[in-house]
Amino acid sequence: MVVTSQEQDILLRMQDDLRRALEKPPHQRRWVMVIDLRRCIGCHACTVACVAENKLPPGVVYRPVLEEEFGSYPNATRRFLPRPCMQCDNPPCTPVCPVHATYRDENGVVVVDYAQCIGCRYCITACPYAARTFDFGRVYTDGTAEAEGLILGRSRADDYERVANFEYGRPYERLRGEESPIGNVRKCHFCLHRLAAGMLPACTTTCIGRATMFGDANDPDSLVTEMIARTNVIRLKEELGTEPRVYYLV
Amino acid sequence: MVLKRIAYAVCVLALLAGAWGLYDRLVYGHQHAAYGSYVVWGLWVAMYLFFAGIAAGAFMIATLDLLFGIPVLRGIGRLALWVALVSLAAALLSIWLDLGHMDRIWKVYLQGSPSSVMAQMVWGYTAFGFLALVCLILALTRPASRLLRTLMIVGLPLSLFISGAVGALLGVQASRMFWHVGLFPVQFPVFSLASGTAAMLVAIGLFGSRQDPLRSEQLRLFSLATVVLTIVKLYFLWADFSQSMYGNVPQNVKAVEAVLYGQYWWAFWILQLLLGSLVPMVVLALPGPSRNGQWAGWMGVLVLVGFAAARANIVFPALTVPELEALTTAFTGPHLTFDYFPSPMEWAVTAGITGMAILAFLIGNDVLPLRAKMEVA
Repeated sequence: MVVTSQEQDILLRMQDDLRRALEKPPHQRRWVMVIDLRRCIGCHACTVACVAENKLPPGVVYRPVLEEEFGSYPNATRRFLPRPCMQCDNPPCTPVCPVHATYRDENGVVVVDYAQCIGCRYCITACPYAARTFDFGRVYTDGTAEAEGLILGRSRADDYERVANFEYGRPYERLRGEESPIGNVRKCHFCLHRLAAGMLPACTTTCIGRATMFGDANDPDSLVTEMIARTNVIRLKEELGTEPRVYYLV
Repeated sequence: MVLKRIAYAVCVLALLAGAWGLYDRLVYGHQHAAYGSYVVWGLWVAMYLFFAGIAAGAFMIATLDLLFGIPVLRGIGRLALWVALVSLAAALLSIWLDLGHMDRIWKVYLQGSPSSVMAQMVWGYTAFGFLALVCLILALTRPASRLLRTLMIVGLPLSLFISGAVGALLGVQASRMFWHVGLFPVQFPVFSLASGTAAMLVAIGLFGSRQDPLRSEQLRLFSLATVVLTIVKLYFLWADFSQSMYGNVPQNVKAVEAVLYGQYWWAFWILQLLLGSLVPMVVLALPGPSRNGQWAGWMGVLVLVGFAAARANIVFPALTVPELEALTTAFTGPHLTFDYFPSPMEWAVTAGITGMAILAFLIGNDVLPLRAKMEVA
């Protein structure tokens, strides 16, 4: 387990940071995510946790882990780069939306209003990080065998897939047809529904290497504030002026 | 006459295919589409750009008769307006079916975002559609009215705006280097005029009245216009591609290479360049074929096919270049691929929409007095 100088698991510290942040008005918080690439082992637990937390259907992903290989034997190495939504302070995806369906909320997190989105996918083309995916209405049980039983069987599994998730604090059942979120653009939202309940994002709590850190950068005592002040911090595609809120330690 | 019967038959077949595609689209949504979350816009968006270009270009041509009164083009105004209207209907139907929530299109009108180029474009095309319809009604009923001229005066800059907006829709996206070209909004009105001119070659050459005394000269004029506009189009193409290659920005170079040597190489070299540009340029520059209805008409068809391929070559390749390296293998699943070739359902819907547009044109050409005034003159 990774520990700080105070011998405290950073998850506990981030929980404390979160508690303090939630006591402030939303507009005074600045949620940021810091990902220590040196600690990421490429286990994809964050990806899986995100899929489970948000009940993401096939073809929809909020936080893939990109893998790259460098060099050649014996000087070869691999790098893993988790890629959530960058929650840009200057997002190129929001002004292109023709119906105000995607915007930065009071926390500064870029959100999608599922009831407003018309599914034109213009925002997907505008995102330089490919952080948005379209919900084509697929379910994992498509094409699977029908079987009897309490657990097995397409219909029961299908029922489970269609049970509501809790994104944005609203129960979105996965109905047949084109009811939202089917037909919508979807993206990482820093698990706003969990934050509202005092919990860290699913990817953060699941990270076995403690590579993902989350908190309020406006809090001078928070872990993330400490991390982003380091010199080994980078952000992706900074030259585009998007001002991402996801920082990488390299 | 034989050609018209064949055209009717082909349209009916296309509509049958379209009916199956529409059924699939409405019942299964976008599940059977080949586009995905990476190549996010597919055939329907390309066809939207294509048909919308014809519509704007045809309206520009209509002003030559109904606004500027150019003698040799007398009588083509109403025909051009009809071409504009059926093309616009095809364009809007194509893009409407592409939406994830077709039932929410009203939100663009009542809750639209003025800062979004897409919203501006939807408003512009809607206004343009109504304006073109009123213009056609006036041209059919009160061709000498001042209101018609006034509306044509309004419509000309509007047609420039909406065709330019298509370029701006892509051009404003700084994250897509292939699209982020300042001249895109300037190029698209030229593309529109060129495709409108080609559509007029088809309309007059293949389906126009052979007794029309002005037909031969009109064909010659539109042929030469097509040649000139094709040269300008090729120059734009050269400028775009050469700057991209010299600039050597990887994402841009990869997109250009995808056009030239990628999975769509045949669409560029054969459809867009050879059949859609070079062959028509040579044939239409010749005095004889350029005045011949069959030659000019079929060259118009080739130019339009080339433009359809060109629209696809603008939309798809830019999206096939991953925004981040290693994204291709990061997460697998349906609709998460950078390879794109339209699915049978997409082709079927496009065939149906194209068939509908051609059928509407043929019926209007037969039923409406689109050319009567000119024949009297």
